[in-house]
Amino acid sequence: MMTIVLTALQYLGYILIFPGFLFCFVIGMLLCGIDRKIVARMQKRVGPPVLQPFYDFFKLCGKETIIPAAASKTTFLAAPLVGLAALVVLQLFIPIHGFSAFSGMADIIVILYLLLIPAMAAMLGGAASGSPYAGIGLSREMVTIIACELPLVMVLLAVGKVVGGDAVTFSFSKIANYQLANGSLITHASLIPAAIAMLLIIPGETGNHPFDTAEAETEICEGLLAEYSGAPLAVYKLTHCVKVLTLTSFFAALFLGGIGTGIVVVDALILVAICIVLTIVSISFVHAITARLKIEQVFKFYWTTVTGLALISLVLAWYGL
Amino acid sequence: MFKKLIEESTAKSPWLFHINAGSCNGCDIELVSVLTPRYDAERLGFKLTGTPRHADIVVVTGPVTKQSLPRVLRAISQVPEPRCIVTMGSCPQSGNVFRGSYSVAGPLSKYVPVDVDVAGCAPKPEAVIDGLVLATQILKEKRAKK
Amino acid sequence: MSFANFLDYHHFPVYSIMVLFLGAFLIVLFGKSKFMRNLIAFLAVASSLACIVALVKPVMLDGEIIAYWMGNRAVAGGYAIGIALEVDALSLFFALLISTAVFVSGVYSLQYMEHDNNVPEYYTLFLMLSGGVIGLVLSGDIFNMFIMVEILTFAAVALTAFRNKAHGALEAAFKYLVVGCIGSTCILVGVIMLYAQAHTLNFAQLSAVIPGNMNNATKLAFALLFVGFGTKAFIVPFHPLAADAHGAAPASISVLISGVLTKSGIYGLIRLTYFLFQTMNLGTFQFLLVFIGSVSMFVCVTMALAQHDFKRLLAFHSISQIGYVLAAVGLCTGLGFSAGLYHAMNHTLFKGLLFLCAGAVLHQTGTTNLDELGGLSKKMPWTTGLFLVGAFSISGLPPFNGFASKWMVYQAAYQKASETGNIGFLFVTLIALVTSVLTLASFVKVSQSVFFGRLPAKYENVKEVKGGMIFAMCLFAILCVVTGLFPSAVTKYLTEPAARAVFSVVNYIDAAMGTGFAASTMGENLPVVASFNFNELGYWSPISWLLILCIALLAVTIVAVSGKYDKVSESSEIADSKYDLFFGGEKSVYSQVGGGDLFWGFKHNWRHYFSFMHDLHSGIVNDYSLWAIVALAIVTLFIQIVL
Repeated sequence: MMTIVLTALQYLGYILIFPGFLFCFVIGMLLCGIDRKIVARMQKRVGPPVLQPFYDFFKLCGKETIIPAAASKTTFLAAPLVGLAALVVLQLFIPIHGFSAFSGMADIIVILYLLLIPAMAAMLGGAASGSPYAGIGLSREMVTIIACELPLVMVLLAVGKVVGGDAVTFSFSKIANYQLANGSLITHASLIPAAIAMLLIIPGETGNHPFDTAEAETEICEGLLAEYSGAPLAVYKLTHCVKVLTLTSFFAALFLGGIGTGIVVVDALILVAICIVLTIVSISFVHAITARLKIEQVFKFYWTTVTGLALISLVLAWYGL
Repeated sequence: MFKKLIEESTAKSPWLFHINAGSCNGCDIELVSVLTPRYDAERLGFKLTGTPRHADIVVVTGPVTKQSLPRVLRAISQVPEPRCIVTMGSCPQSGNVFRGSYSVAGPLSKYVPVDVDVAGCAPKPEAVIDGLVLATQILKEKRAKK
Repeated sequence: MSFANFLDYHHFPVYSIMVLFLGAFLIVLFGKSKFMRNLIAFLAVASSLACIVALVKPVMLDGEIIAYWMGNRAVAGGYAIGIALEVDALSLFFALLISTAVFVSGVYSLQYMEHDNNVPEYYTLFLMLSGGVIGLVLSGDIFNMFIMVEILTFAAVALTAFRNKAHGALEAAFKYLVVGCIGSTCILVGVIMLYAQAHTLNFAQLSAVIPGNMNNATKLAFALLFVGFGTKAFIVPFHPLAADAHGAAPASISVLISGVLTKSGIYGLIRLTYFLFQTMNLGTFQFLLVFIGSVSMFVCVTMALAQHDFKRLLAFHSISQIGYVLAAVGLCTGLGFSAGLYHAMNHTLFKGLLFLCAGAVLHQTGTTNLDELGGLSKKMPWTTGLFLVGAFSISGLPPFNGFASKWMVYQAAYQKASETGNIGFLFVTLIALVTSVLTLASFVKVSQSVFFGRLPAKYENVKEVKGGMIFAMCLFAILCVVTGLFPSAVTKYLTEPAARAVFSVVNYIDAAMGTGFAASTMGENLPVVASFNFNELGYWSPISWLLILCIALLAVTIVAVSGKYDKVSESSEIADSKYDLFFGGEKSVYSQVGGGDLFWGFKHNWRHYFSFMHDLHSGIVNDYSLWAIVALAIVTLFIQIVL
C-alpha cells in the first residue's frame, strides 16, 4: 500500500515538478527572457531584464479577462489550458540523457502529432473568439504548420534510419541508447543537414521571428490572440515559452544525446545549458537579423530550402553514408 | 504574496497601445523612437501591442478629430482594467494649432479620464519615457486599489 | 428440423442479408404508417447487426471459416455449383463495420428524414443498399458479388437523386449512373471471361484454378474486375463522382456511400488481388496499389482544400482516406494489412460521424455552403463537440482513432521501404504524413467557417437537433474514442485475424471445397505466402497518455481557477462597446476582413497545380467516362506487362 502511494507521489512529482510543470514554467520563461536579452544586445540595446517574461506573466494574471460577446465562452477559456497541459505532457516524453520520466510511452512520430495539439488548441481558441483577425491568424498558423511538417517528418525519418539501420526505428529510447553508445548523432556526417533543418524548424514551430506571420502584431493585431486578455493570454504566453523549451530539448534529444553524466540533476542542468545555446542560435540570432516574412514566403522557404536540407540527409542516411 | 508579486509585475511590464486620433505623425514617430536602441524603453518592459485587449497603457496622439472620436472611445473601452490613458503631444490636451477647427472634437479629457499628459510638439523621447514611467506607477496604484 | 437448428450460427450470414431485403419488401407493403415503417426499418438493421456480431466469436476469435451452401447444394465432383456464402475473418470484418454504419445511419434517419416526402421509398432503397453491401462482402460466389454490386449501385443512384428538387441531385445521380454502369459492366464482362476459362463461379474454386492457369483472357478479366471494383471504391480517377453523389444525397446516405460503398470496393479489390489472382509476391502489383493509393490520398486532400461545400469537402476527404487504406493494403505486409483494415474501420466511424454532423447542420440551417455558415457553436453545442471529435479523428490527432491507424500506416510503409530497400515506399510515408496535416488544415477551415467565427444574422434562431440524431452521432463518437484508446485490443481481436485471413488463401479454398483441394488443384503453384510479421517500429500507449494529460489538465485547471481564471467580465444584455470585437475601433458589424481563402499561403505556391486540377475536374460526365476508359486501358496494359 505504502509503495503504491509512494509511486503515485513520485509520478505526480514528475508531472508537477520535474520535468513537468514547474521545470517547464521556470526554464521556458528563462529561455524567452534570455532570447529577448540577446536580441536586444545584438541590436545594441540594453534590453529587458532576463526575468521580463515572469513579469509579463504575473501582470497578465492580474488583468481583467474580457469575453467578447461574439465568443463561445467555454472553448475560449478552455483552449489555452488544454494547449498548455498537452505541451507539458509532451515535455515529459522527451528523455533527458539516461533519465526519462515517461519516455517509454510515445515515439517520435507520436511526438510529432502531439506537437499539433497546442497549435490546434490555439487555433480553436482563436476561432472561438469570433474575431476576423483571428480568422486570418488561424489560416496563417495552419499554413505555417503545413510548411514545417514536411521537413520535420523528413528529419525524423532520417534519424530513424541512421539509428535503426535496416531495422528502422521510431523509438525514442533506441535513439537515446544509440547515442549513449556511439556519441551524439550530430557527429554523424549524414545528419548534419538534418540538424540544420531542424534548427530552422524551431522558430517556425514556436512562431518566432521571422516566421511569426500568424501573430503579426502590426498587421493583423496579434492574429489568434487578438481578443484574448488577462489570465488566458498569460497562459498563451506561457505556452509559447514552454514550446521553446520543448522544441530545443527535442532537438537535444535527437541530435545531442549522449552528453551527460548519469546524475539527473547535473544532466538537467546540462540540458538547460544546451537549450539556452540552441535558443540563442536558432531563435535569437535569426530574430535579430531578419524582418518578418510573408506567409507564402514562409511556406516557400520551408518547402524548398529546409526540405531540401532534410532531403539530403534522408537520402544520405538511406544509402548509409 | 501573489498580490504583491502581481503589483510589482504590473509596474514592470507595461504594454502600450497606440491610437492615432488625427495626429500629424510627428508624435507617432517620436513614440517609435522611444523603442529604438538609443532610448530603448524595452529595458523598462515597455512593448507595443497590436490590440487593445493586451494593453495596459493607451497612448493617444493627435487632436481627436470628430471622425476619430467614436473609434478612439470604442478602442479605449476595449482595454481591460487596470488601464492608464496617456496623451502624447499638445494636441489631445489642448488642440494645439488645430484648436477651434470645425473638425476637432478634443480635448480628450472631455470624454475619458486622462491619467498622464505629456506635453510638447512633439515631446522629446526623454519626456515620453518620463510620462510612461509615471503611468506605470499609476497603474500599480490602480492595481493595488482593486 | 427443430427450432434450435435455426439458431445455429452457421445460418447467421444468410439471416443478416435476408432480414434487410425482407425489411425492404415489408416496408413497401406496410410503409404507409410512420410507426410501422420506422419499426420495420429499425428491426431490420438491428437484427442484421446482431447476426453479424454473433459471428465474431466463432469466426474472428476461433478462426472458423463458415462456408454456407444455399439449399445444401455443396461441392459435387470437385465442382462448386450451388450458391455459396463464405465468411472468413476478412468478410466478417467488413460486414461488421458495414452493419454498424448501417445501424447508426438507420437510427439517424428516423428523425432526419421526417420532413421528406416518399419516406417509405427511402427506407426501401436504404435497406436494399444495406442488404446489397452485406451480401457483397459475405458472398462466396463471384456472380453473386456482381448481382449485389448491381443492387447497391442502383439503390445508391436512386438515393442520390432522392431529394431531386435539390440543386444538382439529378445531375449527380446521372453521373453516378453512367460511370457506375461502366464499372458494373466491367465486372460483368470480367466474370463472364473468368467463367469461360474456369467453368466455375465459386470464388474459392476460382482462386484455386486461376493463378496456375493465367492467360490473356484471365489477365483481361483481372483488369476489368480491378477497374470495376475501383469505380465502387471511388479511387482516383473515379473520385469526382463521389463528390457529386455525397453532396447531393441525404446525409444518412452519404454515410453509407462513404463508409460502406467504398469499403465494398476495397473489399472487392482485396479479394481480387490477393485471393483470385494471388499477387502478394508480386512487387510490381504492390506498386500499382500503393501508387493509386498515394495519388488518391494527395490529390483528393488538395481537392478538398479547394471546396466550399461542407459535404463535397467531406466526400473528397473520404477518397483521401480510402487512399490510405489502399496504400497500406498494397504494401502486403502483416502490419500493412492490419493498418489498412484498421484505417478502413476508423474511416467508417469518423466519416460517418462527420457526415451526420453535416446532415445536422443542413437539417437546421438548410445549407451546407461553408461561405454562408458561421458561429453555430453557440446554437448547436452538441453538434459542435461531436464534429470536433470527428475532425480530430480524421486528422489523426492523438488519442482519437485516426491517429492509431495512420501511425501504423506510416510504420508499415517505412518498414517496407527499409526491408525492400526501395526508396519509393519512403515517399509513401511522407505523402501520408503531409496528407494528414492537410486534412487537419481542411478541418480547421470547416470548424472556423461553420461552427466558430461570426454567426450570420439569419441563423439567430437555429436550434440544436433532436435527441435521436444526437444519439446516433454519439454512437459513432464513442466508437471513435474507444477504438482510438485501445489500439492493441482492436488490432488483436479485429484487424489481425482479418489480416491473417488474407495470408491464408489455402484455408479459404479448403473451407469451401474440402480439405486438400487447394493442394491437389494448384500443385506446385500453391501460394508461398510471405510470413506474417508484425513488428511495430515505435510505441504509443494512449491510456497512459490520456491519464497523464488528465492529471496535468486537472492541475492546470485547479491552479487557474484558484487564481480566479474563471472570473471574467461578460457582456450583459445592454450592448456595450467593451465586449465588441476589436476592429480598429470600428463597430463589430463592419468587421469584414476580406480573406475568404484560408489557405492562400499554401495555394499561392501551388497555384499551377490547383489551376491544372481545376481544369481537369470539368464536371462533364463524358470526361469522367473517358477517364474510366483510359484507366481501364492503362490497367490492362499494366497487367499484361507485369503478370
